[in-house]
Amino acid sequence: MILLAGIGSETPLAMLDAAMDELGCQRRLFHQRRSADCAMELTIDGDGVGGWLKLGDEKLDLAEITGVYPRLMDDRLLPELKDEPEGSPARRHSRALHDAFYRWMEVTPARVVNRSDPQGSNGAKPFQAQLIAQYGLRVPETLITNDPAEVLAFRRAHGAIIYKSMSGVRSIVKRFGDEDLDRLEAVRWCPVQFQELVPGDDVRVHVVGRDVFATRIVSDVDDYRYARQSGGSASLHATEIDDDLAARCVALTHGLGLELSGIDMRISDDGVATCFEVNPSPSYAYYEAHTGQPIAASLARLLAS
Amino acid sequence: MILIVCDDDDVSAAWAAGAFAARGLEAMLLAGRDLADARCWRHAISASGAASLELTLGDGRVLRTAEVDGVLNRLASVPWSWLSRLGGPDVRYAAQELNALLLSCLNGLPGPVLNRPTPQGLCGANRHPSAWIALGARAGLPVAPYRQTSEDDPAALWQGAYASTNRTVITLCGRAFGDPELAADWGEECVRLAEASGCGLLGAAFAEAEGGWRFVGATPSPYLPAGGDALANALAAALSPARTPAEAVLA
Repeated sequence: MILLAGIGSETPLAMLDAAMDELGCQRRLFHQRRSADCAMELTIDGDGVGGWLKLGDEKLDLAEITGVYPRLMDDRLLPELKDEPEGSPARRHSRALHDAFYRWMEVTPARVVNRSDPQGSNGAKPFQAQLIAQYGLRVPETLITNDPAEVLAFRRAHGAIIYKSMSGVRSIVKRFGDEDLDRLEAVRWCPVQFQELVPGDDVRVHVVGRDVFATRIVSDVDDYRYARQSGGSASLHATEIDDDLAARCVALTHGLGLELSGIDMRISDDGVATCFEVNPSPSYAYYEAHTGQPIAASLARLLAS
Repeated sequence: MILIVCDDDDVSAAWAAGAFAARGLEAMLLAGRDLADARCWRHAISASGAASLELTLGDGRVLRTAEVDGVLNRLASVPWSWLSRLGGPDVRYAAQELNALLLSCLNGLPGPVLNRPTPQGLCGANRHPSAWIALGARAGLPVAPYRQTSEDDPAALWQGAYASTNRTVITLCGRAFGDPELAADWGEECVRLAEASGCGLLGAAFAEAEGGWRFVGATPSPYLPAGGDALANALAAALSPARTPAEAVLA
């Protein structure tokens, strides 16, 4: 039995559901918006992990669940709870249900794509960069400082530089320009991350188990993910990467404790790949919709294996 | 030089600093207030992933990566003395940025680091009691049964049975210290737990129940004085420049 978890209409979940339908996989959906009709018990002892999950009228034995694909939104922001005051019974039930569900996903022997803890490295980009480099992938030259003079020296050394957050919050890439010089003193309040501007084409590599799907993005802005908001454009095309780079991407994904990843990199004209980050919960549907790459089908096979 | 990173008023860190000094080892204690007062941060990562840190402290001292031989890391999270200086609408964002900064800096320190930082805790994974119980069971420890339902308050569960703990086994580099009776009975299993958890230094907590002692949880920053001179000797051996190859590997 495979368990999908999240909002049923969310595209990655819906595409996976359709792919699993084609494969004939037995599955259930823990639909967050129906949390009020769900309940759960988790037990752990010397014999292992047990318990049950009630979805509406159906009660599932957790031991029978062999695969999980979580795409959970922040349960505190569920529309059904919008008018519920803090601490209301409905809010307490939803929070307790989701917490029990998270705890179970971390300890169940089922295949979880992906568990929560291994996703943590994406919340600290320079930390993750150190891990990425261990798999033989180049990472951008990076400086984190609260000293304006160090920033200027870094800019002189690299020419064009960008800045972005270190954590998983507001991670939008911005080019450091002359207009930023006036407010450079503000870095004294909190160290800021600067990186060399890496030339080349953006490539998103999705790793699903041992399958690799590479997508080339052609864009006229520094951060293609926000092309529309920046007044620019981005077009996506299926592409190939060499076997060595693909193998490194697979090793990196598994090394981080993940089975599914979206790896962001740039590949220069002379073929050098520079890796920016590993997204542990990639919204693969966007790439599949633009390129036709069968990522959902691969994910369905992985969960069913 | 052994670097001790800790939050303010950490008794175990002060104890370790004293133990290192008594054994003729140079140690530098970097507490939460030192991090908050630091004048200049310069943390760099090269294209090959090599990390460096140059930190100019408020009193003018400079910490450089190259001078560090080993690290006793007891900083569980961004120090309160630093967080308390943040304000305004961006306070939560700034707190996450500081956590990411410290995680990266600590990870980039050379030599043995007890413990290496993780996204779940700056001095080693601060796991939920349910995760510790599952790991403990797999390591062969006699665990206190865990039960959680969709009616239980998640915040209260973080305390778990750990609050009632009254005995701890500390493991370091494959050896067990602390409570002599439990270390003798369950030392090997505690060492297996430490290896599975990725913590070179770990405190495994036990509570008395019907039928004997039960494992209830663990911490990557245990109360070190409980390990006495034997633990102090082992820490010094693991973190000093003169450590044996075996100690270096285990740390």
